[in-house]
Amino acid sequence: MRDPVAIIGVGQTTYRRRHVERNTAELVRDAVEAALTDAQIDSDAIGVIVGGVAPDALAGINHIDMASISRPGVPYFRVNTGGATGSSAFLAAMSWIASGRCDVALVVAVERMGYATTAQAVFNSIFDPIYEKDISISTISMIAMRATMLMQEYGYTTDHWASLAAKNSLASQNNDTLENPRLFDKAQVLASPILSWPIRTLEACPMSEGVCVAVLASEKFVGARRAAWVLGTGAFSDAYAMGDRIRRPEGSLVELLTLRRSAEKAYREAGIANPSEVIDCVEIQAPFASAEAMAYSALGLCEAKNGPAFLDRLLEGRTRALVNPSGGPQAANPVSATALIRIVECALQVRGLAGKRQLDGVRHAVATGQGGATQFSTAVVLGSNRP
Amino acid sequence: MGISPNSAYIQGVAISVTWADAERSLPDLIFETVTGALSNAGAKMAEMDSVVLAAHDLVDGRSLSSMVTAPAAGAYMRDEIRLADDGLVAASLAAARIEAGESEFSVVAACGRASEGDFQRTSQTAFDPFMIQPLGLDEFSLSALRLSAWLQRHPGLEDSRRRAGQARARRAGSNGRALKSGGHAPNLWHPLRQEEAPCMADIVVAAILGPRPARVRIAGTGHSTDSSNVGDRDLLRMPSLAQAAERALSSASMQSRDIDLFELEGATLFDEAYALEVLGLAAPGQGFATYADGTGINPSGGGASGWCYPAMGLVRLAECYLQLTGQAQGVQVPGRLRAALATGFSPVGAQSHGAMVLVTA
Repeated sequence: MRDPVAIIGVGQTTYRRRHVERNTAELVRDAVEAALTDAQIDSDAIGVIVGGVAPDALAGINHIDMASISRPGVPYFRVNTGGATGSSAFLAAMSWIASGRCDVALVVAVERMGYATTAQAVFNSIFDPIYEKDISISTISMIAMRATMLMQEYGYTTDHWASLAAKNSLASQNNDTLENPRLFDKAQVLASPILSWPIRTLEACPMSEGVCVAVLASEKFVGARRAAWVLGTGAFSDAYAMGDRIRRPEGSLVELLTLRRSAEKAYREAGIANPSEVIDCVEIQAPFASAEAMAYSALGLCEAKNGPAFLDRLLEGRTRALVNPSGGPQAANPVSATALIRIVECALQVRGLAGKRQLDGVRHAVATGQGGATQFSTAVVLGSNRP
Repeated sequence: MGISPNSAYIQGVAISVTWADAERSLPDLIFETVTGALSNAGAKMAEMDSVVLAAHDLVDGRSLSSMVTAPAAGAYMRDEIRLADDGLVAASLAAARIEAGESEFSVVAACGRASEGDFQRTSQTAFDPFMIQPLGLDEFSLSALRLSAWLQRHPGLEDSRRRAGQARARRAGSNGRALKSGGHAPNLWHPLRQEEAPCMADIVVAAILGPRPARVRIAGTGHSTDSSNVGDRDLLRMPSLAQAAERALSSASMQSRDIDLFELEGATLFDEAYALEVLGLAAPGQGFATYADGTGINPSGGGASGWCYPAMGLVRLAECYLQLTGQAQGVQVPGRLRAALATGFSPVGAQSHGAMVLVTA
């Protein structure tokens, strides 16, 4: 088992559709300076920088990270696992520290998709060029198919999706990293145009740009700093073709087998036997309401068949764990950064530094990452106490 | 230097260099190569608990290439991560996970299929779109600029340059893993010559890493980065390469004189030869001569045996492993080899470098 590692500083730009007044390097500098200040270190302490940038095509420049994230003289490499990029980069940085190569790592995840006029076409090219691309499948229609499966299998309704979207919209009003967060209620969601049934426009995440940074440190470096300790991690990879995952003995497409296994491993490392009785805060990387609901059972918060009832209780504020107090990716979803944002939001919660969105008494939090048509999953459990 | 109880060892490798194989898709090539590495290691896929990939979306022609490359490398229901970086960095990360106790056995795989895309065009898109891209700079033209600067300092060394090219071609010709037909050379700027180009190819390389003592131990790793702005760089100093090698040697508690064999990555013959000067293995101006006459310097034939980003750092590492274990066949360096150093680079214009020291266990 590796030695303990903790998050000692975080920094975020604001997230919005397009940052017109700042270039990528300037955005990175803003977030990095905030993170270094939070961590009470200067840049000379950094032993490695891990960049997180997903499809180059979204930014329009190949290897946008090399000019904006890397720093002369410091080891640097880039991770790309699609929507899980931010959390995968985080895990790689952990490995670097845990192996003893350095004491401090900087994880920087960047998304500049605001100028892409063809984002869904870019996402279309993640699918099989022979069997899938030509039916114009996209990340939206992909999620829509899962939503219908959830409705058929477990009894979720379109009201559930709209109510959850409205809940996240309300939560996002407390999140100071969002510029002009959208505020709407269930009726407005249900009245918004359909993107791909049953997904409606107000349920879908907005196009988002921004930079998220985390400073990780070895146990000996943490000292008296207020830290979020990494108690457990997990990452698993699934089959490529969604058709291979629809029905199989290990778990169906909507049971999110890789997330379940990731969470089980992370809980095991954290010594958590019953997550529904221990976890106080959950940040789920779910750009749509149905994707969030799909993760509840995988995270051990309820049984899959009881998902709709769990969601009802969540909407009424009657669950122990509160989900996406930041508003989650439905409020802002900068693809390359969104999984790191989930970790950073959990870190803020367990450190008690989440401002207006701070929950009471958060001791354990779990953050998820999902990439590649839910092919790649990660789970990270953070705690307020040194393991 | 003491051996850490969590040291990472290379258990086996495989290299596939082909061109436009109409019978096999990229996942087919990856599957076959990973299977070959497992066989070389005497291991089974069931023993592997993690996969680390190096692949680039724009080279592979997909927006998230690891969706198809990861399962082919055996990632199903395993801990898998993909770097959009050089293959040697992927090996370094896999080693870190083993050293940290996070992984037992790891598959490392890197791929690039030059026959299905235009790497040179892809490379150009990594430069600043307003100030640099219109000039047509790419990985190879930077090498030409570097050579031009070198020639100003070291004129009149035509003979050693010619001999280095001949030696490289001869080694590639003896390398059974080199591309035998097909491939092409990228367009090169003056003063580079076409025979100094890499041979663009479809390359898949895989290595099996684990903590089980095997014949080759990863004794040291090093990484560094240069300025991104080409105008800010001293092209002939290449600090990221020098620092990466220094750090790898330092972490192995070794010096360059302790190394019996070098596999140095470069976009062109000149970059391979000039790396010898950067690392202090050749006197200034003597890179070509040392390359031509040295016995333990890029015996694989370097880029003349096949080249495609981002596989090459792992190819260099695999060639070192084959040499240290006496499996290099037609290019096997005679005598007992105890230590080797491999390097790899990442865009843009070799802005970042990695280095790894291998020793026989």
